[in-house]
Amino acid sequence: MLKWFEQPEQESGNIVCSKVRLARNWSEYVFPSRLSQEQSKELLSKLGEGLKDLGDLDGRDYESAYLSDLTELDRRALQERRILNSSILEKKSPMSLLITREEDISLVLNGMDHIRIQVLLPGLRLAEALKTADQIDDYVNARFDYAFDEKYGYLTSFPTNMGTGMRATAMVHLPSLSMGKKFPAMLNDMGRFGVSIRGVYGEGRENYGALYEISNQKTLGRTEKELTDLVNKVAIQLNDQENQVREMSLKRHRLEREDEVYKSYGVMKYARRLTMKDAMTFLSQLMSGVCDGLVKLEEPCPVFRLMLGIQTANLQKLSDRPLGKEELDMARAAYLRSELPGIF
Amino acid sequence: MLCERCKIREANIQYTEVINGVRTEHNFCAQCAREMDFGQYSAIFDGEFPLAQLLSGLLGGEVPAQKKDHLKQIVCPTCGTTYEEFVNNSCFGCADCYGVFDLLIQDNIRQLQGSDSHKGKRPVYRSAPEPDLEAGEEDGISQGREDSPEAQIRMWDRKLKEALRMEEYETAAVCRDKIRELKGGDQADA
Repeated sequence: MLKWFEQPEQESGNIVCSKVRLARNWSEYVFPSRLSQEQSKELLSKLGEGLKDLGDLDGRDYESAYLSDLTELDRRALQERRILNSSILEKKSPMSLLITREEDISLVLNGMDHIRIQVLLPGLRLAEALKTADQIDDYVNARFDYAFDEKYGYLTSFPTNMGTGMRATAMVHLPSLSMGKKFPAMLNDMGRFGVSIRGVYGEGRENYGALYEISNQKTLGRTEKELTDLVNKVAIQLNDQENQVREMSLKRHRLEREDEVYKSYGVMKYARRLTMKDAMTFLSQLMSGVCDGLVKLEEPCPVFRLMLGIQTANLQKLSDRPLGKEELDMARAAYLRSELPGIF
Repeated sequence: MLCERCKIREANIQYTEVINGVRTEHNFCAQCAREMDFGQYSAIFDGEFPLAQLLSGLLGGEVPAQKKDHLKQIVCPTCGTTYEEFVNNSCFGCADCYGVFDLLIQDNIRQLQGSDSHKGKRPVYRSAPEPDLEAGEEDGISQGREDSPEAQIRMWDRKLKEALRMEEYETAAVCRDKIRELKGGDQADA
């Protein structure tokens, strides 16, 4: 079964994926941070029992697991695939995960809130993701009474989620736009429109791979549709601007662009060692090259799949043993040599 | 404008100093700002600024010092989260915390969220006899079982809220203790 990011029929645009997450709490229990180990276990077993037939809703196969039963590496790999977030990884109390094989729908139970529903789809499909999340939400709600307040909406652990409890996110690839001088200022200004933008990969202030996530900042006082529409609008706007810059650079510097893309491809196809930064930069070049039609892959292969593939936990998982930094760079190069499709 | 310290990078932080009524303005880039000592504000420039800290600043920041000690005594009767813990972690302990801390934080919520009333989806299914604080305020509902511990807790909770609103912290503390007492019996499943 192919995961959502492996499906080859994806359009190769700048908008990589869309995510909608709903935070909910069951009115019977205090929030996760205040639950004892025993209460957490009791909550999980009740939630697990109530949601065991979730698959009946959409005919999908859900796997379920206690996070403590997974290895540390598995949990970190799930974080890399955007199923778990870093605060969940740090949390010690019992938690569980319900997830489809495609990994497009997942529910984290007793994480930062009792129930967090997440729908993750390739491309810009926020409305569709919201619809799916909404259906699952109703299914859960039919079994568990939610903590809800007329004034403050869905009550969540953090005041930053109260109201709709919804975070809509679009991941966009902005290799040209992000090179502009005014880009950092533009990111700061986005707050005024009610969205926040952050780099997805990188260390410190440096961004690797030019991937950015746009999310709604506020969760209260606006409807779910208004919030997803807003993120949608900003994503389209940034995508259009990115395309404009790229069209211009293609007109003026086509040869340089082609050269960059093919050099990146060549290095990835033959290199014996690749750091995360280099690999992400080359993949970013390839991603825009495929998008602009400068290079054509023999087999359809979403470049983002390769970006997920070269992340540390995934490489460690593939090698079945802990890798040092040098070995990691070698494993990364080996992964790309074998996974990178040929080009026409 | 260039940073006045390094004169290389663009200045994006404006620092206004008022000493003995004399006001001076400085313009620095983020990197220089980080290297300089701005006392309690230094954290802002330390790379990734933790959201929790920012929120804590927002949620607790404007409370005058003399009131703080009173506020520290406010505790959510359901989950035991204190106002101090709430401010430090920016995290509610349970659904009832919203009611307990409401009056103290509603302005901040409005600032943080730009609104204070939910407009989005509502739960399709809601249990009928909602032991909701809002519902309890309608006299008709609570009258039938006035003596039940739940009704009493609701009553004291209402008094607690009212006392907080009037800034009568001693009364609030009494209400809080009453609620704790009433909850005492079933603490195990709180």
